[in-house]
Amino acid sequence: MSLLDATLQLLDGFKLTLLLFGLTLALSLPLGLVFCFGSMSKFAPLKWFTKGFVYIIRGTPLLLQLMIVVYLPGIAFGAPITRWPIFGGSVPTAYFCGALAAFVINYSCYFSEIYRGGIINIPKGQYEAGQVLGMTKRQIFFKVILLQVIKNILAPISNETITLVKDTALARTVSVMEILFCAYEILTLKNIIWPLFYTGVFYLVFNTLLTLLFGYIEKRLSRFRS
Amino acid sequence: MKKFISILLVAAMCMALFVGCSNSDSDYKYITDNGKMVIGITIYEPMNYYDENNNLIGFDTEFANAVCEKLDVEPKFQIIDWKAKETELKAKNIDCIWNGLTVTEERKADMDFTQTYLLNKQCVVINKKNESKYTTLESLASALISAESGSAGETAITSEEKLKDASYTGSDTQQTALLGLLAGNYDAIVIDYTMASATVGQGDYADFMIVESIELEDEMYAIGFRVGSDMTEKVNKIIDELIADGTLAKIAEKYDKTELFNEAVK
Repeated sequence: MSLLDATLQLLDGFKLTLLLFGLTLALSLPLGLVFCFGSMSKFAPLKWFTKGFVYIIRGTPLLLQLMIVVYLPGIAFGAPITRWPIFGGSVPTAYFCGALAAFVINYSCYFSEIYRGGIINIPKGQYEAGQVLGMTKRQIFFKVILLQVIKNILAPISNETITLVKDTALARTVSVMEILFCAYEILTLKNIIWPLFYTGVFYLVFNTLLTLLFGYIEKRLSRFRS
Repeated sequence: MKKFISILLVAAMCMALFVGCSNSDSDYKYITDNGKMVIGITIYEPMNYYDENNNLIGFDTEFANAVCEKLDVEPKFQIIDWKAKETELKAKNIDCIWNGLTVTEERKADMDFTQTYLLNKQCVVINKKNESKYTTLESLASALISAESGSAGETAITSEEKLKDASYTGSDTQQTALLGLLAGNYDAIVIDYTMASATVGQGDYADFMIVESIELEDEMYAIGFRVGSDMTEKVNKIIDELIADGTLAKIAEKYDKTELFNEAVK
Protein backbone atom coordinates (compact mmCIF):
# COMPACT_ATOMS: atom_id res chain seq x y z
CA MET A 1 0.00 0.00 0.00
CA SER A 2 1.54 3.28 -1.10
CA LEU A 3 1.75 6.37 1.08
CA LEU A 4 -0.55 8.20 -1.33
CA ASP A 5 -3.22 5.47 -1.17
CA ALA A 6 -3.15 5.43 2.61
CA THR A 7 -3.21 9.22 2.84
CA LEU A 8 -6.23 9.44 0.55
CA GLN A 9 -8.12 6.75 2.45
CA LEU A 10 -7.31 8.26 5.82
CA LEU A 11 -8.18 11.76 4.59
CA ASP A 12 -11.65 10.44 3.86
CA GLY A 13 -12.01 9.55 7.51
CA PHE A 14 -10.27 12.70 8.68
CA LYS A 15 -12.95 14.78 6.98
CA LEU A 16 -15.46 13.22 9.33
CA THR A 17 -13.10 13.77 12.28
CA LEU A 18 -12.90 17.46 11.38
CA LEU A 19 -16.65 17.74 10.87
CA LEU A 20 -17.30 16.18 14.27
CA PHE A 21 -14.69 18.45 15.85
CA GLY A 22 -15.94 21.65 14.17
CA LEU A 23 -19.63 21.07 14.91
CA THR A 24 -18.93 20.05 18.50
CA LEU A 25 -16.89 23.18 19.09
CA ALA A 26 -19.37 25.49 17.36
CA LEU A 27 -22.31 24.10 19.37
CA SER A 28 -20.71 23.50 22.76
CA LEU A 29 -19.05 26.92 23.15
CA PRO A 30 -22.43 28.75 23.28
CA LEU A 31 -24.22 25.89 25.05
CA GLY A 32 -21.49 25.96 27.70
CA LEU A 33 -22.35 29.60 28.36
CA VAL A 34 -26.00 28.62 28.89
CA PHE A 35 -24.96 25.91 31.39
CA CYS A 36 -22.63 28.42 33.05
CA PHE A 37 -25.42 30.95 33.57
CA GLY A 38 -27.63 28.10 34.82
CA SER A 39 -25.14 26.99 37.43
CA MET A 40 -24.58 30.60 38.56
CA SER A 41 -28.28 31.42 38.59
CA LYS A 42 -29.84 32.93 41.72
CA PHE A 43 -32.89 30.72 41.10
CA ALA A 44 -31.98 27.74 43.29
CA PRO A 45 -33.80 24.88 41.46
CA LEU A 46 -32.22 25.88 38.13
CA LYS A 47 -28.84 26.27 39.77
CA TRP A 48 -28.91 22.84 41.42
CA PHE A 49 -30.40 21.12 38.40
CA THR A 50 -27.62 22.48 36.18
CA LYS A 51 -24.93 21.73 38.73
CA GLY A 52 -26.24 18.17 39.12
CA PHE A 53 -26.27 17.66 35.37
CA VAL A 54 -22.72 18.98 34.97
CA TYR A 55 -21.66 16.75 37.87
CA ILE A 56 -23.05 13.63 36.19
CA ILE A 57 -21.61 14.40 32.76
CA ARG A 58 -18.18 15.32 34.08
CA GLY A 59 -18.16 12.32 36.38
CA THR A 60 -18.78 9.64 33.74
CA PRO A 61 -16.67 8.58 30.74
CA LEU A 62 -17.47 10.09 27.36
CA LEU A 63 -17.18 6.58 25.91
CA LEU A 64 -20.11 5.48 28.06
CA GLN A 65 -22.13 8.57 27.16
CA LEU A 66 -21.63 7.78 23.47
CA MET A 67 -23.03 4.29 23.97
CA ILE A 68 -25.97 5.62 25.98
CA VAL A 69 -26.95 8.08 23.26
CA VAL A 70 -26.64 5.51 20.48
CA TYR A 71 -28.16 2.42 22.16
CA LEU A 72 -30.41 3.53 25.00
CA PRO A 73 -33.22 5.04 22.86
CA GLY A 74 -33.68 1.65 21.20
CA ILE A 75 -33.12 -0.56 24.25
CA ALA A 76 -35.10 1.41 26.84
CA PHE A 77 -37.71 3.26 24.79
CA GLY A 78 -38.12 1.13 21.68
CA ALA A 79 -37.13 4.05 19.47
CA PRO A 80 -33.81 3.14 17.79
CA ILE A 81 -32.00 6.24 16.57
CA THR A 82 -31.51 4.75 13.10
CA ARG A 83 -35.31 4.91 12.73
CA TRP A 84 -35.74 8.53 13.70
CA PRO A 85 -37.39 10.27 10.74
CA ILE A 86 -35.04 13.28 10.92
CA PHE A 87 -32.13 11.11 9.80
CA GLY A 88 -33.95 10.03 6.63
CA GLY A 89 -33.18 6.33 7.13
CA SER A 90 -29.43 6.87 6.88
CA VAL A 91 -27.61 4.81 9.51
CA PRO A 92 -24.30 6.72 9.25
CA THR A 93 -26.12 10.05 9.69
CA ALA A 94 -27.99 8.74 12.72
CA TYR A 95 -24.77 7.51 14.35
CA PHE A 96 -22.91 10.70 13.52
CA CYS A 97 -25.65 12.89 15.01
CA GLY A 98 -25.87 10.65 18.09
CA ALA A 99 -22.12 10.93 18.62
CA LEU A 100 -22.28 14.68 18.00
CA ALA A 101 -24.98 15.08 20.66
CA ALA A 102 -22.88 13.20 23.22
CA PHE A 103 -19.79 15.28 22.39
CA VAL A 104 -21.67 18.59 22.53
CA ILE A 105 -23.24 17.84 25.92
CA ASN A 106 -19.97 16.57 27.35
CA TYR A 107 -17.87 19.50 26.17
CA SER A 108 -20.53 22.09 27.11
CA CYS A 109 -20.24 20.93 30.70
CA TYR A 110 -16.48 21.36 30.71
CA PHE A 111 -16.70 24.73 28.99
CA SER A 112 -19.36 25.91 31.46
CA GLU A 113 -16.98 25.31 34.34
CA ILE A 114 -14.18 27.12 32.52
CA TYR A 115 -16.49 30.09 31.93
CA ARG A 116 -17.59 30.05 35.55
CA GLY A 117 -13.99 30.12 36.72
CA GLY A 118 -13.27 33.01 34.37
CA ILE A 119 -16.25 35.01 35.58
CA ILE A 120 -15.74 34.58 39.32
CA ASN A 121 -12.12 35.57 38.94
CA ILE A 122 -13.03 39.09 37.79
CA PRO A 123 -12.45 41.46 40.72
CA LYS A 124 -15.55 43.01 42.27
CA GLY A 125 -14.06 46.45 41.59
CA GLN A 126 -14.73 46.00 37.87
CA TYR A 127 -18.48 45.67 38.51
CA GLU A 128 -18.43 48.55 40.97
CA ALA A 129 -16.61 50.77 38.51
CA GLY A 130 -19.30 50.02 35.95
CA GLN A 131 -22.04 50.85 38.43
CA VAL A 132 -20.36 54.14 39.31
CA LEU A 133 -20.37 55.03 35.63
CA GLY A 134 -24.12 54.40 35.60
CA MET A 135 -24.01 51.32 33.33
CA THR A 136 -26.76 48.73 33.42
CA LYS A 137 -25.99 45.14 34.50
CA ARG A 138 -26.13 44.01 30.88
CA GLN A 139 -23.79 46.79 29.76
CA ILE A 140 -21.33 45.96 32.52
CA PHE A 141 -21.27 42.29 31.50
CA PHE A 142 -20.84 42.82 27.78
CA LYS A 143 -18.66 45.95 27.79
CA VAL A 144 -16.50 45.51 30.87
CA ILE A 145 -16.45 41.91 32.00
CA LEU A 146 -16.74 39.74 28.88
CA LEU A 147 -13.46 40.60 27.15
CA GLN A 148 -11.54 40.14 30.39
CA VAL A 149 -13.22 36.78 30.86
CA ILE A 150 -12.35 35.72 27.32
CA LYS A 151 -8.74 36.64 27.89
CA ASN A 152 -8.64 34.74 31.17
CA ILE A 153 -10.18 31.58 29.84
CA LEU A 154 -8.34 31.38 26.53
CA ALA A 155 -5.63 29.03 27.81
CA PRO A 156 -8.01 26.43 29.35
CA ILE A 157 -10.31 26.67 26.30
CA SER A 158 -7.42 25.98 23.94
CA ASN A 159 -6.49 23.04 26.14
CA GLU A 160 -9.99 21.55 25.91
CA THR A 161 -10.10 22.21 22.16
CA ILE A 162 -6.94 20.24 21.57
CA THR A 163 -8.28 17.44 23.77
CA LEU A 164 -11.47 17.46 21.70
CA VAL A 165 -9.52 16.85 18.48
CA LYS A 166 -8.15 13.64 19.97
CA ASP A 167 -11.37 12.63 21.73
CA THR A 168 -13.15 12.42 18.38
CA ALA A 169 -11.32 9.08 18.04
CA LEU A 170 -13.83 7.64 20.54
CA ALA A 171 -16.60 8.00 17.95
CA ARG A 172 -15.14 4.93 16.21
CA THR A 173 -16.79 2.76 18.86
CA VAL A 174 -20.25 3.85 17.71
CA SER A 175 -19.56 3.23 14.02
CA VAL A 176 -18.64 6.80 13.05
CA MET A 177 -16.15 6.21 10.25
CA GLU A 178 -13.56 8.74 11.39
CA ILE A 179 -9.86 8.42 10.72
CA LEU A 180 -9.10 5.67 13.27
CA PHE A 181 -12.04 3.60 12.00
CA CYS A 182 -10.51 3.83 8.50
CA ALA A 183 -7.08 2.88 9.80
CA TYR A 184 -8.51 -0.15 11.60
CA GLU A 185 -10.36 -1.11 8.44
CA ILE A 186 -7.08 -1.12 6.50
CA LEU A 187 -5.57 -3.22 9.29
CA THR A 188 -8.35 -5.82 9.19
CA LEU A 189 -8.66 -5.96 5.43
CA LYS A 190 -5.01 -5.72 4.36
CA ASN A 191 -3.17 -6.62 7.57
CA ILE A 192 -1.05 -3.47 7.34
CA ILE A 193 -0.45 -1.65 10.58
CA TRP A 194 1.52 1.49 9.70
CA PRO A 195 -1.50 3.55 8.56
CA LEU A 196 -2.77 3.24 12.14
CA PHE A 197 0.37 4.89 13.49
CA TYR A 198 0.37 7.31 10.57
CA THR A 199 -2.98 8.77 11.72
CA GLY A 200 -0.96 10.46 14.49
CA VAL A 201 0.51 12.77 11.85
CA PHE A 202 -2.96 14.01 10.88
CA TYR A 203 -3.86 14.83 14.48
CA LEU A 204 -0.49 16.44 15.08
CA VAL A 205 -0.64 18.66 11.99
CA PHE A 206 -4.14 19.81 12.83
CA ASN A 207 -3.27 20.48 16.46
CA THR A 208 -0.24 22.48 15.33
CA LEU A 209 -2.56 24.73 13.33
CA LEU A 210 -4.84 25.10 16.36
CA THR A 211 -1.91 25.93 18.63
CA LEU A 212 -0.74 28.62 16.20
CA LEU A 213 -4.27 30.00 16.00
CA PHE A 214 -4.65 30.20 19.76
CA GLY A 215 -1.20 31.79 20.05
CA TYR A 216 -2.31 34.45 17.59
CA ILE A 217 -5.58 35.14 19.43
CA GLU A 218 -3.71 35.35 22.72
CA LYS A 219 -1.38 37.94 21.23
CA ARG A 220 -4.30 39.98 19.92
CA LEU A 221 -6.05 39.89 23.28
CA SER A 222 -2.94 40.89 25.21
CA ARG A 223 -3.72 44.52 24.38
CA PHE A 224 -6.55 44.32 26.92
CA ARG A 225 -4.14 44.00 29.79
CA SER A 226 -6.01 44.60 32.98
CA MET B 1 38.23 6.69 28.64
CA LYS B 2 34.60 7.35 29.53
CA LYS B 3 33.85 7.98 25.89
CA PHE B 4 35.52 4.72 24.90
CA ILE B 5 33.49 2.77 27.44
CA SER B 6 30.24 4.34 26.30
CA ILE B 7 31.03 3.57 22.66
CA LEU B 8 31.82 0.02 23.64
CA LEU B 9 28.53 -0.21 25.54
CA VAL B 10 26.54 1.14 22.61
CA ALA B 11 28.25 -1.34 20.32
CA ALA B 12 27.47 -4.15 22.73
CA MET B 13 23.85 -3.09 22.90
CA CYS B 14 23.58 -2.97 19.12
CA MET B 15 25.01 -6.46 18.93
CA ALA B 16 22.53 -7.66 21.51
CA LEU B 17 19.74 -6.16 19.44
CA PHE B 18 20.90 -7.94 16.32
CA VAL B 19 21.29 -11.20 18.13
CA GLY B 20 17.82 -10.71 19.60
CA CYS B 21 16.31 -10.11 16.20
CA SER B 22 18.11 -12.80 14.29
CA ASN B 23 15.80 -15.52 13.08
CA SER B 24 16.85 -18.87 14.39
CA ASP B 25 16.37 -21.32 11.55
CA SER B 26 13.97 -23.50 13.47
CA ASP B 27 10.85 -22.14 15.10
CA TYR B 28 10.40 -25.56 16.71
CA LYS B 29 13.82 -25.29 18.34
CA TYR B 30 13.09 -21.70 19.43
CA ILE B 31 9.86 -22.76 21.14
CA THR B 32 11.13 -25.97 22.70
CA ASP B 33 14.28 -24.15 23.93
CA ASN B 34 12.00 -21.60 25.58
CA GLY B 35 10.07 -24.48 27.11
CA LYS B 36 6.80 -22.72 26.37
CA MET B 37 4.58 -21.77 23.48
CA VAL B 38 3.00 -18.33 23.69
CA ILE B 39 -0.51 -18.61 22.22
CA GLY B 40 -2.26 -15.45 21.05
CA ILE B 41 -5.94 -15.44 22.02
CA THR B 42 -8.86 -13.17 22.72
CA ILE B 43 -11.61 -14.01 25.16
CA TYR B 44 -14.03 -15.57 22.75
CA GLU B 45 -16.61 -18.05 23.94
CA PRO B 46 -16.58 -21.01 23.35
CA MET B 47 -12.99 -21.08 22.03
CA ASN B 48 -11.12 -19.43 24.92
CA TYR B 49 -13.01 -18.07 27.92
CA TYR B 50 -13.18 -18.10 31.70
CA ASP B 51 -15.43 -20.39 33.70
CA GLU B 52 -17.04 -19.28 36.98
CA ASN B 53 -13.85 -20.16 38.89
CA ASN B 54 -11.82 -17.91 36.62
CA ASN B 55 -10.07 -20.83 34.91
CA LEU B 56 -9.36 -20.42 31.23
CA ILE B 57 -11.33 -23.09 29.38
CA GLY B 58 -12.81 -23.53 25.91
CA PHE B 59 -12.36 -25.64 22.81
CA ASP B 60 -9.11 -23.99 21.72
CA THR B 61 -7.79 -23.85 25.28
CA GLU B 62 -8.13 -27.61 25.76
CA PHE B 63 -6.96 -28.33 22.23
CA ALA B 64 -3.84 -26.21 22.77
CA ASN B 65 -3.17 -27.87 26.11
CA ALA B 66 -3.31 -31.29 24.43
CA VAL B 67 -0.94 -30.23 21.65
CA CYS B 68 1.52 -28.60 24.05
CA GLU B 69 1.57 -31.74 26.17
CA LYS B 70 2.70 -33.74 23.12
CA LEU B 71 5.28 -31.07 22.27
CA ASP B 72 6.44 -31.17 25.89
CA VAL B 73 6.22 -27.40 26.25
CA GLU B 74 4.15 -25.26 28.56
CA PRO B 75 1.24 -23.41 26.94
CA LYS B 76 1.15 -19.73 27.80
CA PHE B 77 -2.05 -18.01 26.75
CA GLN B 78 -1.53 -14.39 25.88
CA ILE B 79 -4.51 -12.09 25.34
CA ILE B 80 -3.89 -9.91 22.30
CA ASP B 81 -5.64 -7.19 20.36
CA TRP B 82 -7.16 -9.26 17.54
CA LYS B 83 -6.62 -6.48 15.05
CA ALA B 84 -2.87 -6.53 15.68
CA LYS B 85 -2.46 -10.33 15.62
CA GLU B 86 -0.20 -10.43 12.54
CA THR B 87 2.14 -7.85 14.05
CA GLU B 88 2.25 -9.67 17.38
CA LEU B 89 3.13 -12.88 15.58
CA LYS B 90 5.90 -11.26 13.53
CA ALA B 91 7.32 -9.49 16.57
CA LYS B 92 7.50 -12.90 18.34
CA ASN B 93 5.36 -11.57 21.17
CA ILE B 94 3.34 -14.68 20.46
CA ASP B 95 4.28 -17.96 18.76
CA CYS B 96 0.92 -18.70 17.18
CA ILE B 97 -2.61 -17.43 16.76
CA TRP B 98 -5.10 -19.98 18.00
CA ASN B 99 -8.48 -18.49 18.68
CA GLY B 100 -11.08 -19.46 16.11
CA LEU B 101 -8.81 -18.16 13.36
CA THR B 102 -10.45 -18.28 9.95
CA VAL B 103 -8.35 -19.41 6.99
CA THR B 104 -8.41 -16.74 4.28
CA GLU B 105 -6.30 -16.17 1.17
CA GLU B 106 -5.23 -12.69 2.37
CA ARG B 107 -3.99 -14.03 5.68
CA LYS B 108 -1.75 -16.58 3.96
CA ALA B 109 0.72 -13.75 3.27
CA ASP B 110 1.18 -13.20 7.00
CA MET B 111 1.05 -16.67 8.45
CA ASP B 112 1.15 -20.39 7.70
CA PHE B 113 -1.97 -22.33 8.56
CA THR B 114 -2.13 -25.81 10.01
CA GLN B 115 -4.79 -28.20 8.83
CA THR B 116 -8.32 -27.02 9.54
CA TYR B 117 -10.06 -28.42 12.61
CA LEU B 118 -13.43 -26.73 12.82
CA LEU B 119 -16.04 -25.46 10.40
CA ASN B 120 -17.44 -22.05 11.04
CA LYS B 121 -20.34 -20.49 9.28
CA GLN B 122 -21.42 -16.92 8.90
CA CYS B 123 -25.01 -16.59 9.95
CA VAL B 124 -27.74 -14.00 10.03
CA VAL B 125 -29.03 -13.05 13.47
CA ILE B 126 -32.31 -11.19 13.92
CA ASN B 127 -34.80 -10.36 16.62
CA LYS B 128 -37.45 -13.07 17.13
CA LYS B 129 -40.24 -10.61 16.52
CA ASN B 130 -39.07 -10.41 12.90
CA GLU B 131 -39.03 -14.19 12.51
CA SER B 132 -41.64 -14.28 9.77
CA LYS B 133 -40.34 -11.15 8.07
CA TYR B 134 -36.76 -12.22 7.36
CA THR B 135 -36.65 -15.76 6.03
CA THR B 136 -34.69 -15.41 2.80
CA LEU B 137 -31.83 -13.32 1.44
CA GLU B 138 -34.33 -11.44 -0.72
CA SER B 139 -36.34 -10.40 2.32
CA LEU B 140 -33.23 -8.72 3.77
CA ALA B 141 -32.86 -6.45 0.75
CA SER B 142 -34.67 -3.57 2.46
CA ALA B 143 -33.26 -4.22 5.94
CA LEU B 144 -30.62 -2.30 7.90
CA ILE B 145 -27.71 -4.77 8.18
CA SER B 146 -24.40 -4.71 10.00
CA ALA B 147 -21.33 -6.90 10.57
CA GLU B 148 -17.87 -6.36 11.98
CA SER B 149 -16.02 -4.02 9.68
CA GLY B 150 -13.49 -5.97 7.61
CA SER B 151 -14.74 -9.36 8.84
CA ALA B 152 -15.76 -12.40 6.85
CA GLY B 153 -19.34 -11.44 7.70
CA GLU B 154 -18.90 -8.13 5.92
CA THR B 155 -17.56 -9.89 2.85
CA ALA B 156 -20.50 -12.27 2.95
CA ILE B 157 -22.89 -9.32 2.81
CA THR B 158 -21.10 -7.09 0.33
CA SER B 159 -20.36 -9.93 -2.10
CA GLU B 160 -23.95 -11.12 -2.07
CA GLU B 161 -25.67 -9.95 -5.23
CA LYS B 162 -29.13 -10.14 -3.62
CA LEU B 163 -28.09 -7.76 -0.84
CA LYS B 164 -26.52 -5.08 -2.99
CA ASP B 165 -29.42 -2.67 -2.31
CA ALA B 166 -29.53 -3.35 1.42
CA SER B 167 -28.36 -0.66 3.84
CA TYR B 168 -25.07 -1.96 5.23
CA THR B 169 -23.07 -0.26 8.03
CA GLY B 170 -19.81 -1.60 9.45
CA SER B 171 -19.50 -2.11 13.21
CA ASP B 172 -16.36 -1.79 15.29
CA THR B 173 -16.62 -5.39 16.60
CA GLN B 174 -19.11 -8.29 16.52
CA GLN B 175 -20.16 -7.26 20.01
CA THR B 176 -20.98 -3.74 18.74
CA ALA B 177 -23.10 -5.28 15.99
CA LEU B 178 -25.00 -7.32 18.61
CA LEU B 179 -25.61 -4.17 20.67
CA GLY B 180 -26.88 -2.40 17.57
CA LEU B 181 -29.32 -5.24 16.98
CA LEU B 182 -30.44 -5.12 20.61
CA ALA B 183 -31.12 -1.40 20.30
CA GLY B 184 -33.03 -2.02 17.08
CA ASN B 185 -30.54 0.18 15.24
CA TYR B 186 -30.21 -2.76 12.83
CA ASP B 187 -32.73 -5.31 11.61
CA ALA B 188 -30.18 -8.05 11.02
CA ILE B 189 -26.50 -8.67 11.63
CA VAL B 190 -24.06 -11.21 10.22
CA ILE B 191 -21.66 -12.78 12.72
CA ASP B 192 -19.84 -16.09 12.75
CA TYR B 193 -21.72 -19.18 13.81
CA THR B 194 -19.50 -19.86 16.82
CA MET B 195 -20.11 -16.38 18.21
CA ALA B 196 -23.81 -16.58 17.36
CA SER B 197 -24.41 -19.90 19.07
CA ALA B 198 -22.64 -18.66 22.21
CA THR B 199 -24.64 -15.43 22.44
CA VAL B 200 -28.05 -15.91 20.85
CA GLY B 201 -30.64 -16.73 23.50
CA GLN B 202 -28.31 -15.75 26.35
CA GLY B 203 -28.87 -12.91 28.81
CA ASP B 204 -30.06 -9.73 27.17
CA TYR B 205 -29.81 -11.45 23.80
CA ALA B 206 -32.60 -13.87 24.78
CA ASP B 207 -34.89 -12.56 22.04
CA PHE B 208 -32.39 -13.11 19.25
CA MET B 209 -32.46 -15.98 16.78
CA ILE B 210 -30.29 -17.38 14.04
CA VAL B 211 -32.00 -17.49 10.66
CA GLU B 212 -31.21 -21.08 9.74
CA SER B 213 -32.91 -20.79 6.36
CA ILE B 214 -30.35 -18.27 5.07
CA GLU B 215 -27.05 -19.79 3.97
CA LEU B 216 -23.92 -17.66 3.70
CA GLU B 217 -20.38 -18.62 2.77
CA ASP B 218 -18.63 -21.13 5.08
CA GLU B 219 -15.21 -20.76 6.62
CA MET B 220 -12.69 -23.01 8.36
CA TYR B 221 -10.66 -22.57 11.54
CA ALA B 222 -6.94 -23.38 11.74
CA ILE B 223 -3.91 -22.41 13.80
CA GLY B 224 -1.63 -19.70 12.43
CA PHE B 225 2.15 -19.93 12.79
CA ARG B 226 4.87 -17.63 11.45
CA VAL B 227 5.47 -17.83 7.70
CA GLY B 228 7.91 -20.64 6.93
CA SER B 229 7.78 -22.01 10.47
CA ASP B 230 8.54 -25.72 10.91
CA MET B 231 5.95 -25.75 13.71
CA THR B 232 3.15 -26.03 11.16
CA GLU B 233 4.38 -29.46 10.08
CA LYS B 234 4.98 -30.67 13.66
CA VAL B 235 1.61 -29.53 14.92
CA ASN B 236 -0.16 -31.00 11.89
CA LYS B 237 1.27 -34.39 12.84
CA ILE B 238 0.12 -33.97 16.43
CA ILE B 239 -3.37 -32.97 15.28
CA ASP B 240 -3.49 -36.18 13.21
CA GLU B 241 -2.62 -38.13 16.36
CA LEU B 242 -5.24 -36.32 18.42
CA ILE B 243 -7.86 -37.01 15.78
CA ALA B 244 -6.83 -40.68 15.60
CA ASP B 245 -6.96 -41.27 19.35
CA GLY B 246 -10.28 -39.46 19.73
CA THR B 247 -9.00 -36.71 22.03
CA LEU B 248 -10.15 -33.95 19.72
CA ALA B 249 -13.56 -35.54 19.17
CA LYS B 250 -14.04 -35.60 22.94
CA ILE B 251 -13.22 -31.89 23.22
CA ALA B 252 -15.58 -31.13 20.34
CA GLU B 253 -18.36 -33.03 22.05
CA LYS B 254 -17.78 -31.19 25.31
CA TYR B 255 -18.25 -27.84 23.59
CA ASP B 256 -21.14 -29.00 21.42
CA LYS B 257 -19.13 -28.80 18.21
CA THR B 258 -19.17 -32.42 17.06
CA GLU B 259 -20.97 -31.70 13.81
CA LEU B 260 -18.78 -28.71 12.89
CA PHE B 261 -15.67 -30.69 13.84
CA ASN B 262 -16.65 -33.68 11.72
CA GLU B 263 -17.34 -31.41 8.75
CA ALA B 264 -13.86 -29.87 9.04
CA VAL B 265 -11.77 -33.02 9.38
CA LYS B 266 -13.73 -35.46 7.20
